[in-house]
Amino acid sequence: MPSLEPETLDALLVSLEVASFAMLLDVVPGLGLAYLLARKEWRGKSLVETLVTLPLVLPPVAVGFLLLFTFGREGPLGSRALGIDLDLILTWKGAVLASAVMSLPLVVRTARVAFEGVNPRLESMGRSLGLARTRVFLTITLPLARRGLFAALVLGFGRALGEFGATVIIAGNIPGKTQTLALAIFDNYQLGHEREALRLVGLTAVIAFLLIWFVERLLASGAEREGPR
Amino acid sequence: MTWSGIEVRLRIVRRDFELDVAFESMGRAVGLFGPSGAGKTTILEAIAGWRVPRDGFVRVGESTLLDTAHGRSVPVEARGVGYLPQDDLLFPHWTVRENIRAGIERAARRGDDAGTFERAVHVLELAPLLERRPATLSGGELRRVGLARAICSGPTILLLDEPLGALDLELRRRILPYLVRVREEFDVPVVLVTHDATEVHALCDHAIVIEGGRVRASGSPAAVLSGPALHATEFENVLRGEALECEGGTALVRVGGGALFRIPRAGLEAGDRVLFGLRAADIVLATAPVTGLSARNVLPARIESLATDRDDVFLLVRPDGDGSGDAPLLWVSLTTGAVQDLALTPGGAVHLVVKTQSCHRLA
Repeated sequence: MPSLEPETLDALLVSLEVASFAMLLDVVPGLGLAYLLARKEWRGKSLVETLVTLPLVLPPVAVGFLLLFTFGREGPLGSRALGIDLDLILTWKGAVLASAVMSLPLVVRTARVAFEGVNPRLESMGRSLGLARTRVFLTITLPLARRGLFAALVLGFGRALGEFGATVIIAGNIPGKTQTLALAIFDNYQLGHEREALRLVGLTAVIAFLLIWFVERLLASGAEREGPR
Repeated sequence: MTWSGIEVRLRIVRRDFELDVAFESMGRAVGLFGPSGAGKTTILEAIAGWRVPRDGFVRVGESTLLDTAHGRSVPVEARGVGYLPQDDLLFPHWTVRENIRAGIERAARRGDDAGTFERAVHVLELAPLLERRPATLSGGELRRVGLARAICSGPTILLLDEPLGALDLELRRRILPYLVRVREEFDVPVVLVTHDATEVHALCDHAIVIEGGRVRASGSPAAVLSGPALHATEFENVLRGEALECEGGTALVRVGGGALFRIPRAGLEAGDRVLFGLRAADIVLATAPVTGLSARNVLPARIESLATDRDDVFLLVRPDGDGSGDAPLLWVSLTTGAVQDLALTPGGAVHLVVKTQSCHRLA
């Protein structure tokens, strides 16, 4: 494999960094929502389900605009309203937010399936043995769902790596700062650097392949080691 | 502490099923007996709190766990029950040891000493399994681990749902003695769900017959379970041992505690492990040593307990063996007349007379 151009390396590092922070941002709300959707019933549950899934079908550009509007200076969560500047516009933090929001549906949906795969009677048994609810969640539910939950975050990470539409709106396309792999591909294509664009596409494909392969392996190994029960 | 019994009143109406039961019992081992689909499991789940009916009352000992009339429902984790459901529900990501110790903190809070774990492992013969994962265990082993876990969680009551139910006949025969030992060894009241009269007779001092979501009868097992329901005379003891010497058509087998039985050889070789059955009705008792018999097995033994059921008496007898007291308990069924004539009482010394042909190899 030829050595990476500095610009390519920059884009790769920015992508990995942004995707990692996006997943950190998604862990608690993503897994929390997934657990609630898997285990609880409440009024308005279907509304929450729909809202969480929305970024999956909305044009990413539209989500980007919504974020820009919401977190822009004059927006409801902008610096004027909050009194502090979250510094999201045209920064890597903005790219993290965009990626986190765009990945959330995938994280929640995958994690929900993982939680639903844990027999709720095992949780009841934990409580019958005197363990408090949080203890049951931490020592029984989480470990039993861990492969699916990890898979959810890896998938979300993959989705974040490929994020384009929402990111370009809120974070711009600043090489070395907010330019991710996807944005770099677009840039190179626009500038007529087709060979460079192709190399980036190849790199992106390899990373995506490895991530998916890992997730499939992860989900398959769970059943073997702990048995079907 | 004195046991103030249990009290259960439940009304659960579903589209396809209606449960409406009320019973009270001072028994330390209550058997809920009836066909499957009668609502027995639902009752256990309501006691455990896994299911909270809109209309119900549950008292276990001194504590009221559920009283819908007064808006009271104790959370599952505070109910203090040791539940063994039909699907065992061992935690698949934990070893057997970790599973058994899952409720050990509550047990400690309730003042159980650390010895309960060791005792449960010993009584249920789980020592060789402790480091294994549930996925590698057989059905009977899973059941024993689940039972040990319930016992070690410091429960005020044990709820056992068909503890022998899903097992095949041979396993049932093997697990029943464990349940008997658990009853003897651990002083915890039990509610046992079963559709097998033998289990109620072997384990319970109060039987409640549930059918179609209603209580049909309640009383002592002997009074309530009679006639066709009762097959206790069919009960078969199951013994494990090792073949010592095999000659001709018989094999001499040493079971636990050094007791020796001569059984049909059935392909056994010296050193083989063997499992054999012996019907409770096929054992003859003598109060004095006997000679001049064709029966090959005459074993000195001691009567541990005695339970009367109409015309039959069921005795729990332990062979002396090598004197260590580790020989397995055997059920013996006799007629009341025979027991009276021989003046048999708990603690009395007897001799067991068993024909070789009465023993049959199971495995």
